[in-house]
Amino acid sequence: MDFNKESQMSCSWYAQIENRLLQLLWHLIHVTIDLCYFPLGIADVLESYLISWGLLGRYKSFNVTKLRYLAIVVDSEEVYRTSKIIKLLQWLEAVGIKHVCLYDNEGVLKKSKDFILEKLDGTILFWDAHENDVLSDRQHMTLEFVSFSDGKEAVVKAANVLFMKYSKSGATDQNQKDKIFTESQMSNTLITVGSGGPKPDLLLVYGPARCHLGFPAWRIPYTEIVHMGPLKSMNYGSLVKAIYKFTMVQPNYGKLFFDLHCCVCKH
Amino acid sequence: MLSLRFAIPTANTFIPTKTKPKPGLVVQSGWNQTDLLSSLPRRCESYKLQAATADLTDGRGASVAELPEGLSRELMPKHVAVIMDGNGRWARQKGLPASAGHEAGVKSLREMVELCGQWGIQVLTVFAFSTENWIRPKVEVDFLLSLFERALKTEMESFRKSGIRISIIGDSSKLPTSLLGLINEVEETTKNNTRLQLIVAVSYSGKYDVVQACRSIAERAKDGQIQLEDINESLIEQELETNCTEYPYPDLLIRTSGELRVSNFLLWQLAYTELFFAQELWPDFGKEEFVEALSSYQQRQRRYGGRHS
Repeated sequence: MDFNKESQMSCSWYAQIENRLLQLLWHLIHVTIDLCYFPLGIADVLESYLISWGLLGRYKSFNVTKLRYLAIVVDSEEVYRTSKIIKLLQWLEAVGIKHVCLYDNEGVLKKSKDFILEKLDGTILFWDAHENDVLSDRQHMTLEFVSFSDGKEAVVKAANVLFMKYSKSGATDQNQKDKIFTESQMSNTLITVGSGGPKPDLLLVYGPARCHLGFPAWRIPYTEIVHMGPLKSMNYGSLVKAIYKFTMVQPNYGKLFFDLHCCVCKH
Repeated sequence: MLSLRFAIPTANTFIPTKTKPKPGLVVQSGWNQTDLLSSLPRRCESYKLQAATADLTDGRGASVAELPEGLSRELMPKHVAVIMDGNGRWARQKGLPASAGHEAGVKSLREMVELCGQWGIQVLTVFAFSTENWIRPKVEVDFLLSLFERALKTEMESFRKSGIRISIIGDSSKLPTSLLGLINEVEETTKNNTRLQLIVAVSYSGKYDVVQACRSIAERAKDGQIQLEDINESLIEQELETNCTEYPYPDLLIRTSGELRVSNFLLWQLAYTELFFAQELWPDFGKEEFVEALSSYQQRQRRYGGRHS
């Protein structure tokens, strides 16, 4: 019996040694792989700076016409960095982006819109451009300002319009309900209540969290979403790289975007 | 891919796939990087599991595996959503028919379900088939639905025994009758399970979900259950298809295959969800990739913009 007990203890001891050795080997491999990826991370950062300095040819000038509508989401805690936001918009204008939608959850950017427009020569509000039928005017960049109230709250407003329509119709049959409550009816009603802007092709998120923070979801079913990191660390190279990568993508999704010239919303 | 230990800004959301050898990295002949990384950790962890699983149980008495290094149980997301993209591309890369890609995708899903159950994730929602997918070739659509039906039949007993509750969301009007019957049976059989809730979105889209919620509310208003002036965000949320779970808002969304879109999935519910876009195709998305996504989630400073609805 003592022999059996000793034998079991030896086996357990050997198993523990083997386990420790494997763990050590695993950690060594882990560190090796990390050291290999570290230069890749550094290369990524370096590339951003090279782009900023204009030293990489392919990023110096590329076709941005594919990017018809760009959205920028700014985290609530960084939304007061107005000078950064203005600089970002100036970079976008320099790259050739013509239509930008700015979003923050609390609507701070909406309140600052006059100040922002003042700082950017020739920039006009998207809806003003639409009303005056100058959307295709390549001279000016347009800006749209949205907040949380244009998202879920707008869907609730649109839903209420549809509910009123349904109750006024006096109809009780399923067919009538199916005709009123449809995706296209919802889309049209969102335009009516003033939250029917174009669907962005690309959405850049500036903030610590990689989420869109309540951007009107009805507008982004097929939007490319890229997390850019904190606004305070923004750099021109990363911005250009994100836009360039978008222009190189060949997505195979369905109906892409809301035709800027077919908008029927009147403000 | 292993999680990075150095403080490198993660502004670039592209995560390089670990299946391609990197320049300068020495790879043993006969092994590729995937083999090297996949074999050792499992063996190492299997020793830990043998020592640990017998003693670890969650509050419901089910056995709980020890977490991989770097993950914290307290920071584990309660609800993970997955867009399982890339089955077709995976099959094309290997010169196989699309059906083989989807079969491989089912295996990946099985592994993920198992891991979620072990690691204390309460809800896993997977985007199996979208309303847009109906335009795919009929042969592929029929195969996908039959694959789903087969998987449900095969796994029903396993779900029941392992404490997994199954819920199916989406527009069921286009689904075959046989599948509808099976869905009802599986949901009924597993409705009292509490270890993990697996929500499978079939013939689903985020816009459809919002519209059907509005239809339900209209019905209730017509019946006099609610007044039109009572209709608000909360009421819409109650009528969304994700009302089948205690945690309707995903904490983490994973999309595979390198695409950076949510593709009309859970549009209302994703406002504050951490988005993780993985380069790997879904059949190649395994435990290590899942650990990386969870690590990224746990390391992120997450705030909710002052609002969480």
